[in-house]
Amino acid sequence: MRLKVGIPRALLYYYYYPMWKGFFTALGAEVIVSSRTTKDILDKGVKQAVDEACLPVKLFFGHVLDLKDRVDCLFIPRIVSVERKAYICPKFLGLPDMVRHNIPHLPPVIDVTVNMCRKEKNLYKAFGEAGKIFTGNPFSIRKAFKYGLEEQERFERLNRVGFLPHESIEKMNKGLVAQNCSPHQHGEMTLALIGHGYNIFDSYISMNLIGKLRDMGVRVVTADNLSGSIIEDRSNELPKRLFWSLGKRMIGSAFHFMRSDGIDGIIHVASFGCGPDSFTGEIIERHMRRRGSAPLLNLTIDEHTGEAGIVTRLEAFIDMIRWRRAAQ
Amino acid sequence: MRGYLGVDVGSVSTNIVLIDENENVIETLYIRTQGQPIAAVQRGLEYIRDRIPSGIEIGGIGTTGSGRHLSGIIVGADSVKNEITTHAVAASKLVPGVQTVFEIGGQDSKIIILRNGVVADFAMNTVCAAGTGSFLDQQAARLGIPIEDFGSIALKSKSPVRIAGRCSVFAESDMIHKQQMGHNLADILAGLCEALVRNYLNNVGKGKEILAPVAFQGGVAANVGIKRAFEKALGLEITVPPHFNVMGAVGAAMLARETANKTGRTKFKGFEVAEEKFRAASFECGDCPNLCEVIEISGHGRILARWNDKCGKWSNAEITGVKRNRIENLA
Repeated sequence: MRLKVGIPRALLYYYYYPMWKGFFTALGAEVIVSSRTTKDILDKGVKQAVDEACLPVKLFFGHVLDLKDRVDCLFIPRIVSVERKAYICPKFLGLPDMVRHNIPHLPPVIDVTVNMCRKEKNLYKAFGEAGKIFTGNPFSIRKAFKYGLEEQERFERLNRVGFLPHESIEKMNKGLVAQNCSPHQHGEMTLALIGHGYNIFDSYISMNLIGKLRDMGVRVVTADNLSGSIIEDRSNELPKRLFWSLGKRMIGSAFHFMRSDGIDGIIHVASFGCGPDSFTGEIIERHMRRRGSAPLLNLTIDEHTGEAGIVTRLEAFIDMIRWRRAAQ
Repeated sequence: MRGYLGVDVGSVSTNIVLIDENENVIETLYIRTQGQPIAAVQRGLEYIRDRIPSGIEIGGIGTTGSGRHLSGIIVGADSVKNEITTHAVAASKLVPGVQTVFEIGGQDSKIIILRNGVVADFAMNTVCAAGTGSFLDQQAARLGIPIEDFGSIALKSKSPVRIAGRCSVFAESDMIHKQQMGHNLADILAGLCEALVRNYLNNVGKGKEILAPVAFQGGVAANVGIKRAFEKALGLEITVPPHFNVMGAVGAAMLARETANKTGRTKFKGFEVAEEKFRAASFECGDCPNLCEVIEISGHGRILARWNDKCGKWSNAEITGVKRNRIENLA
């Protein structure tokens, strides 16, 4: 019987799922993803999680609860760092512990540590350890690891062509290997959406932000559509190197978009209670104001944000861009 | 001659205005919503109907405010616009050269930055309503003074007390403390005005370039104490335009005129809607774990509109017999 590995559809799922899925399926396991976020999943997560955690972490708990009784083990890696000299949010590195101590009756948790801060090769160390649960053959593990990396590469290539990560994942699940032409997006304007993937691509949490924008005639681009080197170069314009990987991604992409001619405006989406987001929003706003370039909208999403408030702000932002255009 | 109606259904007040073809404001109405937006709109329309000068025919109607979708369906609106845009439109036409708009309403407050007659930036208060009209309303009620007298009493203050305005819960306990210490009413009211202004400028106005002319509108602009506190904090003269408390409705009427002129006709259902019976109901859709609370408006035994569902299946669906049965079962 194939071992069922559960992956919560939350947090870094939106960044690394193809790699994880590739790795585990190559080792003969069956990968099961939690259902899409619903009110029920969120409510359960909020109830179970520690009070101080941010909304995305609470949601992660909900997804674990959704999965735990239908899988043989859960994959909750302790992700400390995904690149040299930069870190992931501290809440993520305590994730396996938080989950284990707050949710009773869990299946075994694969909580290997990914820490690439000193050496990028440490990634293999983590997957090598996880692989041992499935096979004693180091060659199979190595092969599965390579396959995972290839899948991740395919995923990122699809993103760079113009798909958004949740769309790329869906395409890959349907068997698409590669596509060279951009997906067609209708619209009268292009807006860049700057925010954590787990906020903006989870349509429940973001209150279907991307769908709403598209319905209003907006083409949406995100940091995922850019290459890593652009983000790195642009974020280096700050006087001091940022050591939060996710914050760097937001700032680097915002700095790129604010000087792209094709971008009509930038929307920054922050989670209420996210420390780094409060900084990134501020830094982006200051730089944009100094340049006097494209307009910026700051949105804060939270567990109890009314949808009407978001719609009002989006509508006003789009009206403003249309009005500006008409005046030119 | 043609006239155009603007309807602004907010959390606290419902405002209706009538403008003529040259965008002159002919008639304004400001009533309390009292949690019943449909009834408020109907009441307002009835009132306006009796006051329309003869020879004016309604050429268009626009809605705005947090109840804009609901009221848009009731009246048959030509344009349904968010309140940020309508306030900006009205200010840019009624206050020549305006560069900054402060708008403080019942539950929300906003700042709109205009440059060369075009909106350049805006912000709205976040989840908290500390710096808004309902805060003043509550404190006035607590002190037992009518809200209308709030400003004029505050103006008599010689040395306003400092009250923490960051959060209305803290402000209240701080205020009670100051009362117990023996500060006089005028100083406390002026302190509340300054607290609200401080909170507004630090929160909504954070980082915005506030340039004159500044227009101050929304229901709170009636409070001269707040106007003076703004002038003191900014060192700028603040203009409270005529019709300041119905500016959203004025903007909505202007946009309705624009739309109706483009399409050449109006969707206005006529003043008869004031007498019609509308029913607003809601039900919880149980088709998925989201359990959306769908809102449904019906009139004439027909369902007119539904919204508030995440997937769009209720709001988009044609209301067929099968669906209607299901709704009746649910209701």
